[in-house]
Amino acid sequence: MSNADNVQILPVLPIKNTVLFPYMLMPLSVGRKSSIAAIEAALATEEKEIVVVAQRDASVESPALTDLYSIGTKAVIKKMARKPEGVLEVVLLGVERVVLIKIEQQGIYQTARIKPLPLPQDKSTEIEALHREVGELAARALELIQPQAADELRRLTAGSKDSVKLVYTLAPMFSLDLDKEQALLEAPTVAESLRLMHSYLSHELQVLELRSKIASQAQSEMSKEQREYLLRQQLRAIQKELSGENPEESEIVLLRERLSKADLPEDVRKEIERELTKLERLPNSSPDYHVTRTYLDFLVELPWKAATEDVIDISRARQVLDEDHYDLREVKERILEHLGVLKLNPSAKSPILCFVGPPGVGKTSLGQSIARALGRKFERLSLGGMHDEAELRGHRRTYIGAMPGRVIQAIRRAGVNNPVFMLDEVDKIGYDFRGDPASALLEILDPEQNRTFRDNYLDLPFDLSKVFFITTANTLDTIPRPLLDRMELLRLPGYSEEEKVEIAKRYLIPRQLKETGLAPADCGITDDALKAIIAQYTREAGVRQLERAIGRIARKVALRHAEGHTEAVTVTANDLVTWLGPRRFSPEQRRKQLPAGVATGLAWTETGGDVLYVEATLLPNGRGMTLTGQLGEVMQESARAAQSYIWSHAEELGIARDLFRKYGVHIHVPSGAIPKDGPSAGVTMATALASVYTKYPVRVDTAMTGEITLTGLVLPVGGIKEKVLAARRVGIKRVILPLENKKDLTELPEPVAKEMEFIFAEKIEDVLNAAIPQLGEHFAARRAS
Amino acid sequence: MVFGAAIHRSSEAFWQPAADIYRTRSGWLVKYDLAGVRTEDIEVTVAGSQITIGGFRRDWRLEDGCSHYSMEISYNRFERTLELPCDLDGAEVKVEGRDGILLLRLICQGEKP
Repeated sequence: MSNADNVQILPVLPIKNTVLFPYMLMPLSVGRKSSIAAIEAALATEEKEIVVVAQRDASVESPALTDLYSIGTKAVIKKMARKPEGVLEVVLLGVERVVLIKIEQQGIYQTARIKPLPLPQDKSTEIEALHREVGELAARALELIQPQAADELRRLTAGSKDSVKLVYTLAPMFSLDLDKEQALLEAPTVAESLRLMHSYLSHELQVLELRSKIASQAQSEMSKEQREYLLRQQLRAIQKELSGENPEESEIVLLRERLSKADLPEDVRKEIERELTKLERLPNSSPDYHVTRTYLDFLVELPWKAATEDVIDISRARQVLDEDHYDLREVKERILEHLGVLKLNPSAKSPILCFVGPPGVGKTSLGQSIARALGRKFERLSLGGMHDEAELRGHRRTYIGAMPGRVIQAIRRAGVNNPVFMLDEVDKIGYDFRGDPASALLEILDPEQNRTFRDNYLDLPFDLSKVFFITTANTLDTIPRPLLDRMELLRLPGYSEEEKVEIAKRYLIPRQLKETGLAPADCGITDDALKAIIAQYTREAGVRQLERAIGRIARKVALRHAEGHTEAVTVTANDLVTWLGPRRFSPEQRRKQLPAGVATGLAWTETGGDVLYVEATLLPNGRGMTLTGQLGEVMQESARAAQSYIWSHAEELGIARDLFRKYGVHIHVPSGAIPKDGPSAGVTMATALASVYTKYPVRVDTAMTGEITLTGLVLPVGGIKEKVLAARRVGIKRVILPLENKKDLTELPEPVAKEMEFIFAEKIEDVLNAAIPQLGEHFAARRAS
Repeated sequence: MVFGAAIHRSSEAFWQPAADIYRTRSGWLVKYDLAGVRTEDIEVTVAGSQITIGGFRRDWRLEDGCSHYSMEISYNRFERTLELPCDLDGAEVKVEGRDGILLLRLICQGEKP
């Protein structure tokens, strides 16, 4: 109890970072030696009283008077317990505010002479107002920290009229700074302490409100995510219940398993790993999940390193090629050469071949037998009518329904990265606003670029350099130059009659008999019959029509067998009508006689060679030159050149000059419905014109081809084999060719070459001499004179 | 060293003894748990329906050379105000200490339970 003059001497307990207010219970752990001594001194008294003073600086270990605030709180030690390590735990109860008058050292602890410093209990409307305001602010602030305590506090503040007690009770509830707390303790009047409390509380409230706003924002964002997560977990659980396993996980596990087994290049593996990790994080309801999964499926399946081993046995390869195809020496040699290279240098680049030839000559099947000869897989892709670049190169994965390009798809189908890959009908690629597939082919077919072919869908480089590309085309005219440059051209010209007979005997007849279920002995077709079929029932460079005709015969024989007439049948040339009906083409197409003005030309077509007649006639009182028969520009020009030549050489040819003035001329080339073009009919038109002006007929057994110049030179042309074969087909045995084409005759089969008579022309004069007998005589007479 | 200054609230600056209240034939009997408190240190005031007991518990040294190992008993000033459901003005107050319990009898005139 206080003395008469209210001055007491009590041990001092300095505390850090906080202030003990009256009415406040404060548990403390005390470890400082001096503090323990102070507490023990207090415990030894009857009253257990001690002075608690805040330290100005928390880092000072043994504070002097100047390190302590001069106003503190007298406290009673309510409870005490000793803990191990010399720590003392005490519970202090603040009793009243005191002022420290003097501090004295007492051994290791300090004592202080203190005097109570009660606040004057004054009343005013301002205090009343502040009191209520502080109570309200405190309740609002507490609502944000500890909502359940707020109502209790409201009751407490409403009931209490003691403003000092209110301030002292509220102060410890909010974590105020030490100097603020100390200022509250030191406030000289009630009004001042309320004002201080009010300002602290309103600041505190602002901070708290802001904090709770931030927290609630974060909360609402989080709760949305949590909701989704929860629903997804539930969905997963349902799926698990339904299927007995977790489909998503098992899919990913399966993919991982396949990935670990697959033989992949390192960068591809890395990319797949990356995508897999992405996939694991995706819910399987997301559209991206399926896109990524399909993509990964595809990646893992692609033969990045898988390859078939080449069978490099040249004699076996030769045998295979010969088994499958008759003749085609040049092509077979080229294949065998490549095999030889592969044997010496296994890492050699595969060639890119282009087979050019009319339909039905076996381009596609040749590709298959190359694959067989090399022991490689065969894949085929028809480019005919393709006009979208994306078909070849694929769509980027970002598009809905994106797919890899056809090339990569075919590689996946093959399952190896070195198949024989046939790109059919490369001459029939289209192009439009969607891009130009031919340009995409440039990359695919370039050995320098296709090592890192980048499909839009894959978005990873794939090595196509081991692929053996073969393209096929019927004509080279429509193939873009840069594309043509990349390929090695191998021409497959049409077959001669003899070759066709051989092919029919070796391949077509056995195949058709097998397909109709007949034994080889059941049906025979004589060579004469085959020749007749070729001449009278087919008109082609290849053998498709021939095979169909043989198929018809085979089916008819099979029908007889099925009806019970099981005797063997031999088909001869004479009874072909009963098997195949009336003949469809007749050799009579060769004109028996040619009037003056008609000459026999030879044309090259996509289906082989053809014979065409050039008809010229004079038009009395007509003018100029009329050209009909769907002639192209080049052909029209070569007609004009022919006329100019004849006109300018009228005298030597014995033609009256006024013929050119009095008569117009009309040239027609049947068949009128078929477009024709090219310079190779030049000599024919010149011959026809010479014939019509001189009225001497052209030899009916002579056909001709060659380009002419205005000065009368004869230039070489292409397609000699087809043209000669076409002439022979219609029974023309005498052919006039440009001298420079003499070398092309080696392409001809031996019997054909022997049978035919060739005249080689250097100038138009040579052609006319050979084609128009009377003109020949005229020339001879002129020379003689 | 001062550790963990966790803060507890107390509504008053002194301790409060536990109390039992009995209804008797003649009025009220209040028992206070006030062991170790000298009777001369206790003062009782009755006003209206409120009865307030206040005082001091002082510790004393049992023998020389002993010091606290732990402490749970509250010392120093105590005060307790009880509210009874009747007017106590003019009631007779008797205080009696027995075995550490302080008995407080209130005899109300004319009050019959």
